[in-house]
Amino acid sequence: MTQPLLELHNLNKSYGTFEAVKDIDLTVDTGEFLAIMGPSGCGKTTTLRMMAGLEEPTRGDIRLEGQQINDLPVWQRETPLVWQNLALFPYMTVRENVEFGLRMKKVPGPERQQRCAEWLERLGIAGFADRNVAKLSGGQRQRVALARSLVLQPKVLLLDEPLSALDAHMSIRMQGELKRLQRELGITFVYVTHSHSEAFSLADRVVIMNAGRIEQLGTPQDIFLRPKSRFVAQFVGGISLFSGMLKTTREGKVGIDSADGLLQIADPASVQTGTKCDLAVRADRINVTTQPGWGTNEVPCTLMSEEFAGAVVNLHLETAAGTGIVAQLQQRDLERLSARAGQQVYASWHPEDGVLLGVTALKAAA
Amino acid sequence: MSVLSAKVRLRRRAWFALWAAPLPIWFALFFMGPMLLLIAMSFWSVQNYRLTPDFSLSAWSYVLSLDFLWSTFWRSYGLSLISAALVSLLAFPASYAMAFLITPARRLTFLGLALAPFFTSYLVRIYSLQVFLGEGGVLPQLFHSVGLSGASLLNSYTALFLGHATLTLPVVLVLQTLALGNVDRTEMSAAVNLGARPQHVLRHIILPAARPGLSLGVLFAFLLSYAEFVSATYLGGGVFQTLPILLTDLIRGGQQWPRAAVVSLLMMAALMLTSLVTVAWAYRQKGN
Repeated sequence: MTQPLLELHNLNKSYGTFEAVKDIDLTVDTGEFLAIMGPSGCGKTTTLRMMAGLEEPTRGDIRLEGQQINDLPVWQRETPLVWQNLALFPYMTVRENVEFGLRMKKVPGPERQQRCAEWLERLGIAGFADRNVAKLSGGQRQRVALARSLVLQPKVLLLDEPLSALDAHMSIRMQGELKRLQRELGITFVYVTHSHSEAFSLADRVVIMNAGRIEQLGTPQDIFLRPKSRFVAQFVGGISLFSGMLKTTREGKVGIDSADGLLQIADPASVQTGTKCDLAVRADRINVTTQPGWGTNEVPCTLMSEEFAGAVVNLHLETAAGTGIVAQLQQRDLERLSARAGQQVYASWHPEDGVLLGVTALKAAA
Repeated sequence: MSVLSAKVRLRRRAWFALWAAPLPIWFALFFMGPMLLLIAMSFWSVQNYRLTPDFSLSAWSYVLSLDFLWSTFWRSYGLSLISAALVSLLAFPASYAMAFLITPARRLTFLGLALAPFFTSYLVRIYSLQVFLGEGGVLPQLFHSVGLSGASLLNSYTALFLGHATLTLPVVLVLQTLALGNVDRTEMSAAVNLGARPQHVLRHIILPAARPGLSLGVLFAFLLSYAEFVSATYLGGGVFQTLPILLTDLIRGGQQWPRAAVVSLLMMAALMLTSLVTVAWAYRQKGN
């Protein structure tokens, strides 16, 4: 399997002087679940729409199984899209919605009915086949939208924030079903979302986009554990950032000389001393104590606020230099800490839990 | 949530009632009143050229037994239906272009231009059409110059249709453009994404979605053409006897108000029935 399923080469899209998508290079493999994530306006939906042929690229190539499909009319493409607002056809029944694509592709009657029935059954909406789509619940409508696209047996299914219209409970349930469907069918999903939980729990690989460019591409673990830039770290959230020059002390300790003191790191091998770096520390790796003397990297700070998030609590701290720190504690650890807002506390972490951002880029530049 | 007290609720209702009142009052005064009078009058009798309150079925039996009334009724109905269909078909490509192909700013300009004829009196427009189409008019002369017959175009269905179109085309254009403008663009893209060509999108997405507005366009064109008197008289001439002409003839010829009332009621019944059927069809829903 050397041939990638879907390839984007140097893809660009401008609206007048506004560049919505800039130089996107991306390959998607068969059977892969790829999530494209980013803040609104980052170009993720435009990229997806270009894959579907609904937007014409200003520059660049889109290939499906090695074949350039840029100039193929939309209706001849085999890249069905599941729309953010679902875009079901309200003047048709559930069955007619699901049959629509097959009808357009001139699939003969008996086969059409059989495939339609199969998908209605598979997605558990056979009981509503003759209902008006306007009278279904959110989850049922979602299934109709999926069936309508999947009945075409596409090699790749494009999904544009498909769960955003559902309530939280239903959304989680549909996430599970989507993942299961994708595994069973073995087809490629390209899934655009702004939700971390959806992207991280569903995808094999995640693309983080910002201002029309790909900021980072990697497995969810990669992105979560080793964000490449400040943007990714901030977008993923729950990460504290420190910046400063890389420095080696007389005692041989290596760290970042930041406004909050020397913050040691474990593996500085790839960076030259004197380079300006950003250090990221994840919230769950930060310890909070009321007394000093706990660990290597210890920064005194003020407890600003607590954010209750179920089993865990996020503590927002601020150092004397004004750096914001987020620490995630278990509820019982917080009880043991017994600190109140405004109180002085100490944040600390092991040197190996600090990640230098953009290390590879700096290495190349060095 | 606090429960509103009865007093507050009453005051609120009174306030809304105050604002809602003018329409029912207007309706009662200028529609229901005359309508009841019309019904009553259809049972009155004419004695010595004078209208006399009565309960007589003579007007009804007279009118309903007239053969030429029924032939006129159906001719009128058929002609207006053809006019409405033709006008709708003529307007559709333009409405489609306005709704889907041009920018909103241009759409406004074109709609304004389409409505411009309303700034002149309808009567004036029909009279000028008469000059245009009549003996020695611009159009016959033009036809003559290219070797066609230069005879007057008046007193023909073409002339009558031109009169109808003058009246109804702008209305239909606006209704259609609004109807098409409200079609969900995402649904159209979704259809294309599933393999629909432009003609399929028109048939399966645009027409069903715009059906209420498009049907209302046909209906309005029909209603306006049906009750049309001016172009039927001045452009259609005596060739096309239509109900409105018959109606005026009945009144002119000897104070036959009860008979005219019967014809009016028949017209109204036909229009109402047509409207009801059209609206029911336009808003019909699929599935349960």
